[in-house]
Amino acid sequence: MQAQPSEVSDNELLRLVAHGDEQALAVIYDRYRLILFGLILRILHDRQEAEDVLQEAFLQVWRRAGDFDESRGRAFTWLVTIARSRALDRLRGLGSRAKHTDEVVAHSLRGETGDAAADALQSEQGRIVRQALAELPEEQRRTLLLAYFEGLTQSEIAARLGDPLGTVKTRMRSGLMKLREVLRQESRGL
Amino acid sequence: MEHKDYEELLTLHALDALQASDKRKLEEHLERCPECRTESVELRDTASLLAHASTPAEPRAEVRERILNQARSGAGQRQSAGETSAKMAPFRPRAAPRAWPNIMRLAAALAFVALLVGVAVLWQGNVRSRQELSRLSQQLNQQSDELSRDRAALARQREAIAFLNSPGIKIVELAGTQTAKTARATFVYDQATGRAMLMTDGLPVAPPGMAYEVWFIPRGQSPMPGKTFTVDAAGQATTMDQLPAEARENPTIAVTLEPKSGSPSPTGAIYLSSPTS
Repeated sequence: MQAQPSEVSDNELLRLVAHGDEQALAVIYDRYRLILFGLILRILHDRQEAEDVLQEAFLQVWRRAGDFDESRGRAFTWLVTIARSRALDRLRGLGSRAKHTDEVVAHSLRGETGDAAADALQSEQGRIVRQALAELPEEQRRTLLLAYFEGLTQSEIAARLGDPLGTVKTRMRSGLMKLREVLRQESRGL
Repeated sequence: MEHKDYEELLTLHALDALQASDKRKLEEHLERCPECRTESVELRDTASLLAHASTPAEPRAEVRERILNQARSGAGQRQSAGETSAKMAPFRPRAAPRAWPNIMRLAAALAFVALLVGVAVLWQGNVRSRQELSRLSQQLNQQSDELSRDRAALARQREAIAFLNSPGIKIVELAGTQTAKTARATFVYDQATGRAMLMTDGLPVAPPGMAYEVWFIPRGQSPMPGKTFTVDAAGQATTMDQLPAEARENPTIAVTLEPKSGSPSPTGAIYLSSPTS
């Protein structure tokens, strides 16, 4: 690769990976390992399992980079989707050992604005998203996080929280719309 | 279903929270509706931002090595469409000699295509079944690990119950210090034989390379080391130990954090202690 790694766009990197460029894979890894490992760890709560899944996810990136289609979403979305699905598959495979719901909910209630050490690792985008999440009404935030980190369907979430299905749907929609607003502002501003 | 009804489905779809039947319905609609497709892309991009709600974490450096080594060694047999056709190019059938009737050329081409499709299907099936096999064997390993852990735990519990039922045992309650306010423990010992057992609750998980160590402190003397132990996620552990003869008369019991190999005398912070007698 000719350009500095930081100047190469994610889309370009994925194109290079699709052509078998290992160095491009390394650059993607270095760029996204913290957020992807954080995500997987948040789903699995076990470092060893999480490292396993991170490895699987990146090998999938290596094998399937040719499937990435930038007209169907951002590269970040593609990477995060792979990591999240792999982690949720593993979580379901682990079955009963992974019943840590209360812990997840407690974690989400402790606030997503985080501590100073974690903030140091956060990207600018991460900070904006965490800020936006912190501003959501608690119930909306909780519903979104349950769907995202536990992979629950709408009815499972309704059953879990003891709320009517309609309420759950409305919360998910309002919460996600608010986040979208953030993304739009960010793409205009940054 | 009206077009606007799909809006709500799109949100749920972006979060993968749709029931299977709604998901099918929506995906059929997306095939036909470019407007909803655009909306779907944007909502999925938005949902993926939720990844930022997790705390970024650093995997061990060797994970990077493993990934790059595997990529290099071709563990990822590449499946990108572009690459496949590029590799196939050299094998494209050359123009057949003129002597071949057209129909034969067509048949040969068809047979070749069928062969390629067959090979691709077999290969994919093979990859899938290998993945399935490795997933199953992983599951089996996990289950057998769990089973042996459960058995070991059961044996320990039986031993503990038998010990607790033996006559003449004494009980000492330990309270958490400033370092571990919510921790507590019960130390039970048999004054005659010195057999002892410590049950802890609420201790923080020891950092890597560290473990908790038990101390028996006879009145007016220096602490004598007991066993080291680690705790589970709930801070619980049950440790059998042997109380030295010198320490069987109203000893003070304490627990400190020490290097994993244990220390001859306490060096780390005190986590639990019985009231000094």
